[in-house]
Amino acid sequence: MLRPRISPCLLVHEGGLVKTERFGNPKYVGDPINAVRIFNEKEVDEIVVLDIDATARNREPDYDLIRRLAAECRMPLCYGGGVRKLEHFERIVSLGVEKVAVGAACCELPELITKAAEVVGSQSVVAVVDARRSAPAAQPTVLTRNASVDAKVTPADHARRLEGLGAGEILVNSIDRDGTRTGYDLELVQSIRDAVSCPITALGGAGSLVHLGELVQRFGIIGASAGSLFVFKGVYKAVLINYPNRADRDRLVSESLGARGSLG
Amino acid sequence: MIAIVDYGLGNVSAIENIYRRLGIEVVAARSAAELAQAPRLILPGVGSFDWAMRLLDQSGMREALDDAVLGRRIPVLGICVGFQMMLRRSDEGVLPGLGWIDGEVRKFEPARSGKPTRLPHMGWNDVRSSTFDPIFAGLEEPMRFYFLHSYYVQLAAREGEIGTADYQGDFCCAARHDNVVGVQFHPEKSHQWGVGLLRNFAGSSSC
Amino acid sequence: MDHRPYQICSNCVMDTTDSLIAFDEAGVCDHCRTFERTIKPNWHTDARGRAEIERIAAGIRKEGRGRDFDCIIGMSGGIDSSYLVYLAKEELGLRPLVFHVDAGWNSQEAVNNIERIVDRLNLDLFTEVIDWEEMRDLQLAYFRAGVPQIDTPQDHAFFATMYNFAEQNGIRHILTGANYSTECVRNPIEWMYYQSDSVQLRDIHSRFGSRPLAKFPITSVLRHKVYLRYIKRIQVVAPLNHMPYIKADAMKLLADRFGWQPYPQKHFESRFTRFYEGFWLPGKFGYDVRRVQFSSLILTGQMTREDALERLKTPPLDAATIAQETAFVAAKLRITEEELMGYFRAPNKTYRDYRSQDSVYRVGAWAMRLLGLARGGKR
Repeated sequence: MLRPRISPCLLVHEGGLVKTERFGNPKYVGDPINAVRIFNEKEVDEIVVLDIDATARNREPDYDLIRRLAAECRMPLCYGGGVRKLEHFERIVSLGVEKVAVGAACCELPELITKAAEVVGSQSVVAVVDARRSAPAAQPTVLTRNASVDAKVTPADHARRLEGLGAGEILVNSIDRDGTRTGYDLELVQSIRDAVSCPITALGGAGSLVHLGELVQRFGIIGASAGSLFVFKGVYKAVLINYPNRADRDRLVSESLGARGSLG
Repeated sequence: MIAIVDYGLGNVSAIENIYRRLGIEVVAARSAAELAQAPRLILPGVGSFDWAMRLLDQSGMREALDDAVLGRRIPVLGICVGFQMMLRRSDEGVLPGLGWIDGEVRKFEPARSGKPTRLPHMGWNDVRSSTFDPIFAGLEEPMRFYFLHSYYVQLAAREGEIGTADYQGDFCCAARHDNVVGVQFHPEKSHQWGVGLLRNFAGSSSC
Repeated sequence: MDHRPYQICSNCVMDTTDSLIAFDEAGVCDHCRTFERTIKPNWHTDARGRAEIERIAAGIRKEGRGRDFDCIIGMSGGIDSSYLVYLAKEELGLRPLVFHVDAGWNSQEAVNNIERIVDRLNLDLFTEVIDWEEMRDLQLAYFRAGVPQIDTPQDHAFFATMYNFAEQNGIRHILTGANYSTECVRNPIEWMYYQSDSVQLRDIHSRFGSRPLAKFPITSVLRHKVYLRYIKRIQVVAPLNHMPYIKADAMKLLADRFGWQPYPQKHFESRFTRFYEGFWLPGKFGYDVRRVQFSSLILTGQMTREDALERLKTPPLDAATIAQETAFVAAKLRITEEELMGYFRAPNKTYRDYRSQDSVYRVGAWAMRLLGLARGGKR
């Protein structure tokens, strides 16, 4: 039976790991290599690492960091940040990375998605859709470049277009839920699920295993990604790498899928 | 010693890392000469079928590979698209495959078991061994591996099948024909099961 | 290198790799004599010791009433601090805040152990993450300095952070897992010097570091042993000295109750410490800290001298592990293995080659002994 993927999402800022709240207020979390190494030993399903500076500062992907991260992963690694050319895709994939995530380039260089899908395969092209609601019930809109540029498109329309261009996976990220640990924006995820048929990974807002369960119960096979949940512990937000062990994960998944009943 | 056929596709670094940490000698072969020395081969692959076959042909190693595998009967392990390339043809492309295993590669049907098929098949899935094969020796049951593909292998005869997975219905995810063995999943990204499988391939004389 | 003929204590396993060791006519070393004369008579693990710690605990509970927690415990994930957390909560009825300092070298086992204990005992956790770039730079500076005490950055950061936190939050009680049971013999000063000497730390950094130490936490012995202790009245308590503390029993209890994962050897919760104690120190300087650890266990009846001698026959880490850990440490510090082994082969230096507060420590130790405030201790 195919399982929902549960993945830690790590943000790299100035070479160090950070965790943000609503895309702001970065709190230092430590050395990225050590974090990935510990997650690897915890046998996480897969891992997402995003460099949040690269595009804003017009820098190339940090190939040295990528190579070292890939060396620590016995599970799939998705890397994003500063990807704007076909050459970036090729180099990153050749360093041992399964998937390459693109954010701003989805809006600014859409033909890149198609070219990349042809060369490395669409399964390795992950389109990142950062979305924010101006108010809890308002329609979400897509933002890029660390939420500084309004793409003036709905997440669903954007995702549909990107799938059509060749993206093999959509990573949908709720900016307003980021770091809040109040649960995923399930309606946002639903709008993406209704728009595309490729795999989806949800990010932004997960604060406990219960939230992961809610996501799986509603959507079945999906990717559940989280930052704060796997990096912080307790009321003081103490930095402590954690991840449910295999038994707990399997139980969570089977209970959540079971609760879906005949939806499948 | 393991030689990974490095024709430009597939996660060569990840496979190398695993063997290095296991203390098993490994080399990325980029020429026919390097292939000629290897006692065991791994054929990796990602991306599309035709793209992979074309790159393999352009690498200059095609003949040496056929010679090693079909002539000298060197053990070879195909991974993901590398496995698919070992079949005769694929729905994904027009170029012929290596033909080392009798069968073809089919695209997952738009609907399986009454449900629409979401593609690619991506994530961790259980693998059941059909008949015992030494590459699965000693792996913790139930075995699970990471899959990332939209096409699957359909063998001409069931007897070559050594492993199946269930994605809205069973499909063949591992097969063997004499010295040729292939797996649809990614052992280099499947934690302990993958490390174990790669170690088995390197170690056992019956692999 | 010392020119004394080789001699090993007839009672424990300390030998002349501790160049200041002194033997009596029976061949018994001064570590053993210090233990017998000054530590053991004042070390009570029976009812008397228990009564003492209960009294202290009652005081901590009383002072902490109305606050979120009444003491802090620094937890590395190792056996001593893990057991202490359990003891503090379950047996002494305290409400500790568990404190962890992440210097970038945590093993998965350490992180897992901390998580399990904090969760199962329902405790709050606070973590201080040391800026990795500064930590790395300081560690490389220590390698370049050629001194034996290259684990000072981790140790110093730990103490400094704990004391800073206690002071900033008005916490008056720090519980430590220090214990005579496994540590009555201390590492000779020439092996590990004093991790809290900030004068030496700054000197080594200024000579061999390449970026400013801006965020790195720094303390000083005068600050935490005098100012914080006597002016701010922050008390450091070692509860493990007030009851029978048998490591093997403690490990079994934690494993049974919390699923705590044991380590192959002391201090293996940090990959760096493992490399340092298992390879660097014995290989470059001939200092095997197992001698110190085993001697403590011999003196407290938890290991026989024969067993210790047998185990000391094989090196702490085998060649394959050394190769693997060397590669790991070099990769993590972003240097080549050649560069790392270059430091290994470079001439050996000591703390005396750099500026230090050594005199302060010596005067302080003398004063403490004179005033009856300390027993035994480093030399």
